[in-house]
Amino acid sequence: MSPHRHGSFWGFIVFNIYVLVSGDGGNLTASETPPLSSVVLSSAAFKPGLGSLLSLNLLSSFPEDLEISDYCSQLLLIFGQRYVAYVNCLVPAARPVKVCQNCFSSYGSLTEIFSNISSDQVGPGNVSCRDSLLRSDRLMLVYELFENLKVLWEKSNCNNCITKGFQNMTSDTLHFMTTLNQTLTCFEQYQQKNKTELCTNCKTDYKNLNVLYGGMEKNKTMCIDIEDAMNMTRRLWSKNFNCSFPREETVPVIAVSSFMLFLPIIFYLSSFLHSEQKKRKLIHPNRAKSYSSLMNIQDNRS
Amino acid sequence: MANITKKVSWSSRADESGATGEGTPLLNGSEQPRHSRQLSEGRSIFQIGRLSTVDLEEEITSDEDSLRGRPKEIPHNEKLLSLKYESLDYDNIENQLFLEEERRMSHMGFRCLEISRWVVCGLIGFLTGLIACFIDIVVEELAGIKYQVVKENIEKFTEVGGLSISLILWAVFNSAFVMVGAIIVAYFEPIAAGSGIPQIKCYLNGVKIPRVVRLKTLLVKVGGVICSVVGGLAVGKEGPMIHSGAVVAAGVSQGRSTSLKRDFKIFEYFRRDTEKRDFVSAGAAAGVSAAFGAPVGGVLFSLEEGASFWNQMLTWRIFFASMISTFTLNFFLSIYHNKPGDLSNPGLINFGRFETESVAYNLYEIPLFIAMGAIGGLLGALFNVLNYWLTIFRIRYVHRPCLQVMEAMLVAAVTATVSFTMIYFSNDCQPLGPEHTEEYPLQLFCADGEYNSMATAFFNTPERSVRSLFHNQPGTYNPLTLGLFTLTYFFLACWTYGLAVSAGVFIPSLLIGAAWGRLFGILLASITTTGSTWAVPGKYALMGAAAQLGGIVRMTLSLTVIMVEATGNISYGLPIMLVLMTSKIVGDYFVEGLYDIHIKLQSVPFLHWEAPATSHWLTAREVMSSPVTCLNRIEKVGTIVDILSNTSTNHNGFPVVVQVAGNDEPAKLCGLILRSQLIVLLKHKVFVELARSRLTHRKLQLKDFRDAYPRFPPIQSIHVSQDERECMMDLMEFMNATPYTVPQETSLPRVFKLFRALGLRHLVVVDDENRVVGLVTRKDLARYHLGKHGLEELQLAQT
Repeated sequence: MSPHRHGSFWGFIVFNIYVLVSGDGGNLTASETPPLSSVVLSSAAFKPGLGSLLSLNLLSSFPEDLEISDYCSQLLLIFGQRYVAYVNCLVPAARPVKVCQNCFSSYGSLTEIFSNISSDQVGPGNVSCRDSLLRSDRLMLVYELFENLKVLWEKSNCNNCITKGFQNMTSDTLHFMTTLNQTLTCFEQYQQKNKTELCTNCKTDYKNLNVLYGGMEKNKTMCIDIEDAMNMTRRLWSKNFNCSFPREETVPVIAVSSFMLFLPIIFYLSSFLHSEQKKRKLIHPNRAKSYSSLMNIQDNRS
Repeated sequence: MANITKKVSWSSRADESGATGEGTPLLNGSEQPRHSRQLSEGRSIFQIGRLSTVDLEEEITSDEDSLRGRPKEIPHNEKLLSLKYESLDYDNIENQLFLEEERRMSHMGFRCLEISRWVVCGLIGFLTGLIACFIDIVVEELAGIKYQVVKENIEKFTEVGGLSISLILWAVFNSAFVMVGAIIVAYFEPIAAGSGIPQIKCYLNGVKIPRVVRLKTLLVKVGGVICSVVGGLAVGKEGPMIHSGAVVAAGVSQGRSTSLKRDFKIFEYFRRDTEKRDFVSAGAAAGVSAAFGAPVGGVLFSLEEGASFWNQMLTWRIFFASMISTFTLNFFLSIYHNKPGDLSNPGLINFGRFETESVAYNLYEIPLFIAMGAIGGLLGALFNVLNYWLTIFRIRYVHRPCLQVMEAMLVAAVTATVSFTMIYFSNDCQPLGPEHTEEYPLQLFCADGEYNSMATAFFNTPERSVRSLFHNQPGTYNPLTLGLFTLTYFFLACWTYGLAVSAGVFIPSLLIGAAWGRLFGILLASITTTGSTWAVPGKYALMGAAAQLGGIVRMTLSLTVIMVEATGNISYGLPIMLVLMTSKIVGDYFVEGLYDIHIKLQSVPFLHWEAPATSHWLTAREVMSSPVTCLNRIEKVGTIVDILSNTSTNHNGFPVVVQVAGNDEPAKLCGLILRSQLIVLLKHKVFVELARSRLTHRKLQLKDFRDAYPRFPPIQSIHVSQDERECMMDLMEFMNATPYTVPQETSLPRVFKLFRALGLRHLVVVDDENRVVGLVTRKDLARYHLGKHGLEELQLAQT
């Protein structure tokens, strides 16, 4: 272990603290903080051990130019921290889905560090970390890890709910959330009482929510959070509270359709009875008398 | 055998001959003394026969005799041949004019001709693709509006009550569209009704169906298809594409439009039946290719339907037309979908891609597929039998245009009603999928966020329904929904085919088959415990669709290739082929294919691939029409005019004979001349006397015949003065000097083969001294067919 490596390690500690302080936006709850910091601590404690392990197993004597530079290993470490932070945020937000609203800022910082790694920019010491970190081996671990999370992010359509630069949620999303909360409060209010009362009283709220959702669906400004919340609300409304429309006009529908079905029968009967049947005039073609028939006739005569 | 001899025994009576068979004279016309020229030895034998049997006949058939004065009338059935259909003149007329023209034509001229053939094929493909694109876009837009309006209405009334109003709205919408479609078909162009495939089959077979390749027919067809698909009938827009392609081909290749009275003075060489028929086969192929995105299938369709007259260069050109057509459609649809250059819509129907791992098939599934083929054959046969009875009823009783329009409107209204009732009472609710392929999901009484599964099948254009049956995830449909859907759609489709609207049967068949195929797959998966891993319902839906389609239309090679191309998966080739084979075998056991049934019901003299089996004992002598109206090589104008203007006979070919020496020697055959040629000759007054008096008279060229093609003026429109009637006409230059002839003893299959292979229209039967004995035409051959009780004979009738 060279001394300047230890120096960079101190830099990391400082950086980690910065991460912790800047945090995951306003949404980072208090309960999520301790495990995060403990991970940071443990990884920090693990680091020297890892180093010694490496020095035992492998000769730490790759030539200087094949080793990754300090700058790059520093970037790599930051990437690791932020990666862990993001995953830690994601997992508790899996059900009910809140991956966009809770974790957008940690995703933002993750993409920031990845773009640093993958940029062409030459860092101190005239080295580019893109080649050394991203594609110097078959596994391409860093790249694959980031790509997985990116696919997740894209699948969840979070970009639709978050402003550019991962600053905040869009106003549409916030508006939807307030409407949703309004509806849910209404549900809670009447839940204990009569179900039919709930259906009539919360109808306007629920309908507003549906209209809002429909509009967002059309504009394609939806992310998984909104979809999931809406799905849950709908399920509550239709399955739990049973507020769907009942099938109650069976008689008129049957009457109209049997009238319609009756029409063709009348049509065919009347055309059978009143329309004159089309006849074809037969025509007898001229044929030569065949020998065989001729023979027959002559036989008859004789 | 018995009825054959009976009919033959009538034939030698002189006053009977007001008959048909191209080439029979009307002997009772008193002012035609020269007709009896064809007296030959054979004829004199017959006369002896007649004299000797005359008493006998009078006794036996005295009551029939009284009927003889007026023609017998019978209700329409399938055992008739109509007089209104004629053959195409596919055979090249090698007269002196033709030889002269060929001599004048340079090597370069032939080159240009070949190039212009390619240009024409390219144009055919391009225009057919454009028409397909137009139909697709208009249908999509109009159907979109319709479904949107109905959907909003249903949503509104689900909430406040009064869904029966939505039902009426839907029915009225459908009826209105279908009414427009049916009116243009029934009142303006009845030939545009149906899918058009039977008509094109007949045309490629060599039958000239009146008005089938006119511009007006194309316009009515396109408009009719749009109306009937938007009107929600159980129909598809694929079959009519084949007809449209054929009309485009027939129009483009002529370089002019007789309807619009525009002549572009190009492609004049192609103005005859031979060339036109070749281009029509290219057009039909282009139509198939645009409809299914199957260029090879299109070529094979033309091959299957018109295989008798074929050559390799033509195949290559047809393939070119097909490719251009599918590419054009693809290109313009990509622009329409705002993705120019993304060529992913090769056909009107898109089966979607079967490419994932789960849709691969296993060896042990093949018996299951074959069983599905058998089911398809049975259901197809049932469909055809029901449709056969319905069509007979329609021909007999629902023949007035106003009734046809009413019937079509009723069918449209009932279709909407049945669909609505099904959707209304369905309890099958499914969550909206992630990709959300349903364009117009209906919720009705389902929970929010779910949609009515029955509505995806009924409340949609049929093409979309087919695709969702193929590709939706397992569990999208429950078995009851599918079963009910199959049942209702089967009867609706059966009822719809044969209405006076232009619409095809391909898509409804696919839809029925896909529904029961999917049902089959689901049941299979539920029977076998481990089945869920391999019994992917989409795969069985595809096989069911193939089986049902094969069971109804009974096409073989071309249908296999079309299905394989439409799915885009070569490895399905074998299962699809097995399925189609089984369904054809099973179906043929009961009844013919739907198109053949309709061809028969239209009384078309259609020549099948082979002569009927067990017909070798029939010889040309029994088959031919006799006696024949012949013309002298130098004939009096008055005689020709009289023969041509005889309304009771509409003969088209006249053997030209030459008197050997003296009057008592019978005449010998020296050529054959067609009615159309005679009419052109009369119009240009090519009389011997006139030619002598006016030496500067322009010599008639082949161009003059082509200019009159294809609508030769009727003989009534040609004025021939009394003086001109006495003039003479020399037919030597114009007649086909080497017509095909056969001796009297030739068997029917041999004659048949000549007809099929050479595309003949007239075949002269001669005796051993080259004297005309009779004339065989298409109707003489087509009347024999193998029925349930051996060889049967069809009757000729006026329709």
